[in-house]
Amino acid sequence: MSLQVLNPTSEEVIEERSLAKRLSTLEGATVGFISNGKEGTDRFFSSLTGVLYEQFSVAEVVLTTKSNYSAPADQTLIDEARDWHAVVTGVGD
Amino acid sequence: MQLQSTSYDLTDSADIQEFFHSRGWTDGFPIVPPTPELVQNCLEWVGMSADQLIGVEPVKERAIVVEKLAINAIMAGCLPVHFPIVVAAWNAMLQPQFLLHGATASTGGCAVLSILNGPIRLEIEAKAEFDVLGNGARATSVIGRALRLGLINILNVSPGAIDRSTLGHPGKISYCFAEDEEGTNWQSLAQSRGIPEQVSAITVVASGAPRQIMNEWTSVPEEILDTYVAEIRANMLNYSIWAGDYVIVIPKQHRDYLEAAGWSKADVAQYIYENARVKRSEWGQVGKQAVVRDKGDVTYNALMEPKNLLVLAAGGPAGGFGAIIPPWLGTKSRAVTMAIGACVNCES
Repeated sequence: MSLQVLNPTSEEVIEERSLAKRLSTLEGATVGFISNGKEGTDRFFSSLTGVLYEQFSVAEVVLTTKSNYSAPADQTLIDEARDWHAVVTGVGD
Repeated sequence: MQLQSTSYDLTDSADIQEFFHSRGWTDGFPIVPPTPELVQNCLEWVGMSADQLIGVEPVKERAIVVEKLAINAIMAGCLPVHFPIVVAAWNAMLQPQFLLHGATASTGGCAVLSILNGPIRLEIEAKAEFDVLGNGARATSVIGRALRLGLINILNVSPGAIDRSTLGHPGKISYCFAEDEEGTNWQSLAQSRGIPEQVSAITVVASGAPRQIMNEWTSVPEEILDTYVAEIRANMLNYSIWAGDYVIVIPKQHRDYLEAAGWSKADVAQYIYENARVKRSEWGQVGKQAVVRDKGDVTYNALMEPKNLLVLAAGGPAGGFGAIIPPWLGTKSRAVTMAIGACVNCES
């Protein structure tokens, strides 16, 4: 005797998204950092900023911070990021 | 409306358990096989179609539909009569101020505490006396488990997947209890949060594990509450200093003294608001001198306002044992109370 049972997972088909086109060089680029807001990002992103200017000759580094580290970035921040050539985002704890 | 979930034909009970365990679809305990008939019974009880949308989790952009909630509720051991509460709890968890993704993904390891109020408690025998924070009632055990299984299966909140908790706590298996409304003259939690009398409701809170206190040596309200305050202060120093929605569970033995002295829940909340405070310099006493910096004289309140204390009457009839249940982390997630059976953003 068999029993019919149902799948408890979402089963939602996840839309595949491709990665943004890679930059061939960072020279002259504007690079934005989106900090999750935790203290650990301060020194880490500050150090990376120095590396970007000194070793990769970027034009500008923009440092931003999410308003809530447990929530997605605000739309205004996402809109601001559209003007950057590259974004670095990550968790600092 | 036909059920849309993929179905499987399995041969016996052991097969079913291993089929679900091996796919990561359980919490490690055996499940009730979610057959189409049992799932349909839940849907009929709430009068909802299988594809009714309860909400969308915004980070994963994942739709939460009733059919999936029913499957997980059956797996957890729910009866149809429990299912309206599961639906209401998901409604509450999906409100933006609850911040469901953060509360279920954080290394901080909180769980979703759900608290029942109103007449439905009696209908489902959700007792709020002996072992109220443990295995006090079948109804609360299975409802809390249904919420966790739904998180695991619908939103991938499994340990090491979305759930990144360093430790977690036992409430991640099931964390639901009711208020002992018959054992107190106090206003219920739901009423104090704006729900009309005689309307059943559920309150969800992103919460750490309960921290038990004991004081059986006084009948003075201030002295009783000082023990709760001390535990909140300890939590502020040892865990998180930030103000948030704290829950305190006051058993009958303490309530009898408080109520006899004319103290209401609002009076309790006011006292704790005024006294549950620490100075940042006190971090130095618990090994956190490194983060005191030049702010040692700054005072931190456990509560932004007295109304941020969720005061609950619950627990067995004897014993001076209460509990504080701390918030996950400050005000990142706020407690949400939702009427059971209410329709949020539904089309008429």
